[in-house]
Amino acid sequence: MSISNIIIRWRYRFIPDHLVGEILSKNWIDNVIPMLFLMAVIGVFGAAIPDFFSAGNIANLMRQWGEFSLVVLALTIVIVAGGIDLSVGSTFALGNIVALALLNVAEWSMPAVVVATLAIGATVGLVNGYLVGYLRLRAFLTTLVTLIIVRAIVDMLLLEYSIQIASGFIDSDAWYFLGEGYIFSMPFSVVVTVILALILHLVLSRTRAGWHILAIGGSRRSAHNIGIPVRRVICSTYIISGTLAALAGLLFASRLGGAGADTGIGLEITALTAAVIGGNSLGGGRGSAAKAIIGSITVVLMVNSLVRLGITSGANSLLLGFVLLLAVAIDIRWVKNRLKVLSNVYVSPTLAELPPAPATVAPSPYAVNDRLGTVEQIGLDEIDGPEDVILDDNDNIYAGDRTGNIIKFFAPDYKQREVYAHIGGRPLGMAFASDGSLVCCIGGMGLYRITAERKVEKLTDETKRSLFSVIDDSRLRLADDLDIAPDGRIFFSEATVRYEMHEWAVDCIESRGNGRIICFDPNTGETSTVLKNLVFPNGICMAHDGQSFLFAETWACRISRYYFDGPKAGTVEAVIPDLPGFPDNINRASDGTYWLAIIGVRTPTLDLALKMPGFRKRMARRIAPDEWLFPNINTGCIVRFDDQGTIIETLWDLGGKNHPMITSMREHKGHLYIGGIFSNRIGKLKLDGFDPHWTGQKSYWGRK
Amino acid sequence: MNLRLSQEQIVFGLAVMLCIGFAIALDGFLTTHNILNLVRSVSILGILGVAMGLVVIGRGIDLSLVAVMAISVAWSLQLAASGMPLLYALALGFLFSLVVGLINGFLIAYVEIPPIFATLAMGTLVYGFGRYFLFNLDVLYVPDDAEYMIWFGQGVLFGIPVPIFLFAAVCFGAYIFLRYTRYGRYLRAVGDNQLAARITGIPARPIVVMQYMLSSQIGFIAGIITAASVLSMNTRIANSTFIYDVILVVVLGGIGLSGGRGGIRNVIVGTLLIGILLNGMTIMDIQYTVQNVIKGVILLSAIVIDTILNPRDEQTAQQGDI
Amino acid sequence: MRFLKTLILASAFAASAGTSTLAAGIDDPTRAPYYDAFKGKTVAYVPVAMGFDLTEGWADGLRSTLEPLGIKFEIRDPNWSTSVGAQAITSLITEKPDVLVVHNPDVQSYARLLKKAEAAGIYVVQVNMRSSYSTDAFIGADYVTMGGQIAQRLIDQCSPDNGGSGKIAVIQGVLTAAASAYQMKGILDVLESHPEMNLVSNQAADWDATKAKNIAATVLQQHPDICGFAGFWDVMDIGTSAAIKESGKDVYLISQGGGEQTACDGLTKGTYSELVVYNVPGQARDMANVIKQLLQNGNAPGSTKTTLFTPLDFLTKENMKPGDCWSLPSNG
Repeated sequence: MSISNIIIRWRYRFIPDHLVGEILSKNWIDNVIPMLFLMAVIGVFGAAIPDFFSAGNIANLMRQWGEFSLVVLALTIVIVAGGIDLSVGSTFALGNIVALALLNVAEWSMPAVVVATLAIGATVGLVNGYLVGYLRLRAFLTTLVTLIIVRAIVDMLLLEYSIQIASGFIDSDAWYFLGEGYIFSMPFSVVVTVILALILHLVLSRTRAGWHILAIGGSRRSAHNIGIPVRRVICSTYIISGTLAALAGLLFASRLGGAGADTGIGLEITALTAAVIGGNSLGGGRGSAAKAIIGSITVVLMVNSLVRLGITSGANSLLLGFVLLLAVAIDIRWVKNRLKVLSNVYVSPTLAELPPAPATVAPSPYAVNDRLGTVEQIGLDEIDGPEDVILDDNDNIYAGDRTGNIIKFFAPDYKQREVYAHIGGRPLGMAFASDGSLVCCIGGMGLYRITAERKVEKLTDETKRSLFSVIDDSRLRLADDLDIAPDGRIFFSEATVRYEMHEWAVDCIESRGNGRIICFDPNTGETSTVLKNLVFPNGICMAHDGQSFLFAETWACRISRYYFDGPKAGTVEAVIPDLPGFPDNINRASDGTYWLAIIGVRTPTLDLALKMPGFRKRMARRIAPDEWLFPNINTGCIVRFDDQGTIIETLWDLGGKNHPMITSMREHKGHLYIGGIFSNRIGKLKLDGFDPHWTGQKSYWGRK
Repeated sequence: MNLRLSQEQIVFGLAVMLCIGFAIALDGFLTTHNILNLVRSVSILGILGVAMGLVVIGRGIDLSLVAVMAISVAWSLQLAASGMPLLYALALGFLFSLVVGLINGFLIAYVEIPPIFATLAMGTLVYGFGRYFLFNLDVLYVPDDAEYMIWFGQGVLFGIPVPIFLFAAVCFGAYIFLRYTRYGRYLRAVGDNQLAARITGIPARPIVVMQYMLSSQIGFIAGIITAASVLSMNTRIANSTFIYDVILVVVLGGIGLSGGRGGIRNVIVGTLLIGILLNGMTIMDIQYTVQNVIKGVILLSAIVIDTILNPRDEQTAQQGDI
Repeated sequence: MRFLKTLILASAFAASAGTSTLAAGIDDPTRAPYYDAFKGKTVAYVPVAMGFDLTEGWADGLRSTLEPLGIKFEIRDPNWSTSVGAQAITSLITEKPDVLVVHNPDVQSYARLLKKAEAAGIYVVQVNMRSSYSTDAFIGADYVTMGGQIAQRLIDQCSPDNGGSGKIAVIQGVLTAAASAYQMKGILDVLESHPEMNLVSNQAADWDATKAKNIAATVLQQHPDICGFAGFWDVMDIGTSAAIKESGKDVYLISQGGGEQTACDGLTKGTYSELVVYNVPGQARDMANVIKQLLQNGNAPGSTKTTLFTPLDFLTKENMKPGDCWSLPSNG
């Protein structure tokens, strides 16, 4: 092997390309740009300011951040719902002066002052909310005007009371605690903010009210049309916003105790900056408490550090403006391109070197014939895509279909049928348990059981998340085929953890070991992963020894055997390493051998492409999915092999008319019943020389 | 007969009512001098309103307008003070405003930053750039020998202050531009529906760039008049709430923030209402803060009346339109 | 004896160092402690904003006096934002400079912080606009007196007894700033005893020339016989002056400021009729002296309170002398 081959092999073995796409598909990745930006700010100023990380400095910053962050949270709620609240700065100032005036001039008690201040903030919010929510005024304009009005009211109050406030003396420890106190060595304002941010996070991400807010921000019209009380929700966002702004003003009042004329001037701009830098979209629908927090920390650090560096005010604004533009520009490009990039890089093909395909002409055991030409057709055009078929003790056929039902065809002539059970997901592999219940893999849903009383029960739909997984692989995306060990344990394959069921072919383009085999133990109810990194594991069949099962890896074109019991427990050994096509289900044959469905035959082009991951990568990026190379699934065959992997016979449908599309087959009383995932029929083939009384049930559970 | 009044008509009606009210109640309101003074005092606001109006019709907003006006003119004054001939200095200032407009337009049209935010940040940036690189002081003075420049701000022609003529000229120019030139129509089309405009072959992005360059230019003109009328340029107005007044003038007159609607007449109506209000209240010697409350309440009622008469429909409202 | 010994020793040392020959002067014994008192000290300066004549002038004066003594001089520029200023002072309290020079935006906002700073062992010097909390030193104009004097000047000019109409107007800056509030009190106190005077307009123009111009123009319109304007800042009053000039009337405009050259030029050109000047370089010198004194005495911060009112100059075109105004060294 050439050096370059070795390098390519190592490159694809050790560089995890697929993680890029997986990381990009996470929800939290949306916060990455703001977060990186915050890190950069911390890095730059941490290096530039000597005692940046000192406890004193951090404590100072935190207290200011607490107040500021409340205002940013206030604005975020409104922005997420698709509005904007420019009046937060003025409401902040109003909260400040009202609290001070009530304490100093009216001499109210502290709790009364807190309640009254918040109520006044809520009132301002109510005015905004009524105008914007119920009267449908434009948010920008309305809150701009309320900004001016509230600011003027603040100025009037200042004229009236500022001298009295300045000369007043407040004798209340509780009051000073708001602005100067600590809870668990955290400044009070920080504790309040963190709690409120957590609540907001939970509300937005976990509650109906939060979903309503996000829905309205995403599309007010659609939200209205599906019956969300748009007006009320919008109004309440402004009320919350006003209350939070007043609360921030209250804390500010307690910290400084001064009613400055410019308190809160321009605060709406700074808060807006923080909200947007954090990644909240103006116009609504995209935003979170975490974003507000990240943005507010960034802005507080920047403004404070620039002042501390002592550079002139010009440079300060220059830098601030520049940084804002940069941050937003990057964020905009990010939002715009993230999905584009994601769709480009998510498919990450890897090197898959298949062994040479064996010939399909005589004297090869795979030699083409027309033995399926005589297949009888059951339920032609009455069933849509029976991936797997199975027969019960009374010879009735059960098969899943595309619409999420399990259809039962009644023996003996199979003319009559009924919906045996409706599940909803796509039924794939099936097996009868010893108690007569039908266990079934449902694509997209997990492992289900239909009891003898036709009750549908979920067995499992999750397994333990693997340690370093980026995408959440605890949910079962594509449970494919199963078989049941003598002790009742159910082993089933999950073909891929990276794609949904309808994207099965894309997994072939990747040909990475994305699949796994999972064991569900009905005795303990536990689910555990048995084998990982399999290339689209598909059919599973208990070997006749009761200690191992055979499994097929479709895109790797091989059959292997896994020992779960006995002396070789835990080992995997190859059975057939080089199939001429893509294997699907495996089932027992009456003579101690196994039936194997081959869904399609390998083609030299795809084989070549699999050796050229770079080519497939370019293909996935540059051309539309409709034009991609896909595996052939039009013509397949049935193969019989023994425990050693010797091919005994092969059954083809040469004309391709009767039953070319094969994903499964069951031997039952001297006949072979054939299913195909894209087929519109079930095939029945008379087998010569096979035990006419053998059934799968007997073979597994020894009944009758 | 259609009794539905547009916002412009409502605001105009309000202005007329106020005017009548003041004329009856206040001595000396309805004198030629006072009316001229009234219009003169809001002519700069009006010119800025025209600049903002053009951008808003193009479905944008230019929050950097006041900063650009202050900094570009202040730089010109600084250059002139350091010995450069005034004309060259003004030309450079004009160029500066154009470049800022170009950058604004680029950021909005090509980088696709929302206009509110791009221009907001640009305003801060321009102010900082000016203060750091171009001059050190907040206030710059007009050189004594700049008589013809001062004439723009303080001159009188046929008994009418020159700023009023300039206001009229800017309005007229913008009206002709919007109404009769190809690019003016493009601007409106892009503001109404950018995607549709693009599909019909209008160069939507260059038009957006153009609208911000236009607004910066007009801002520069307003700056020259400001500086000339008070012989100095206080760059601190870049950080003030003056820009909000400009937006109010525009929107109050009935130019929708969602773009494509309205014209120069709306700006004039909005400007007049603000002018009449301020003038009347100053005559009554109402305290500045109280003036603000009254101004705010009247503005709010104008918007509310408009919304009640022309309610917005849940089904036809544009998404992301704040 | 000891002094002689030191002297001998010192001269011997000097001689051995070979720096001078025999010109043995006497070293001033207060020199060493004087310079030692300043070694490694830091003075932090928090104005309302940099970039205008007053704050730049103070900064310049302080820097040129203090830095040669080895004192580190730092500026924190909040750029007209009280909350940023409060942040700056809060951080300074943890950084512990030796002296804090504060220019208050209003009487209360920084009061508690200044108290805290003193408690943390920092000398606090306030300049021009004081806070309601008195600290180690205040240097600035006595605004109440100043207001009274301005009112008196207007009475002199405009009282009907002196041939004026008695109508005057005031254009303030920001209503809540200490300078405005105290001055207004001074003006009103004096006017109270002069019923013949009529204050026809009293508006705030936010330190903005354009607003001042608009207000003044309207007032001039309404009261064509107005006799005098009092403005609270020369930079803003350029607008007032422009309005007066446009009206073509002869109105007395008395303004005030730090006495920067532009203002004096305005006086020459007739922009203002009269200027009340608190000499900024003088204030800077006073501050520097107070700082030196505080550092040398070493009393605990807050233990002494000093107030130095800056003498006011009433300048007119006639009485102005070339040296009355000053220029920023790097104007531009």
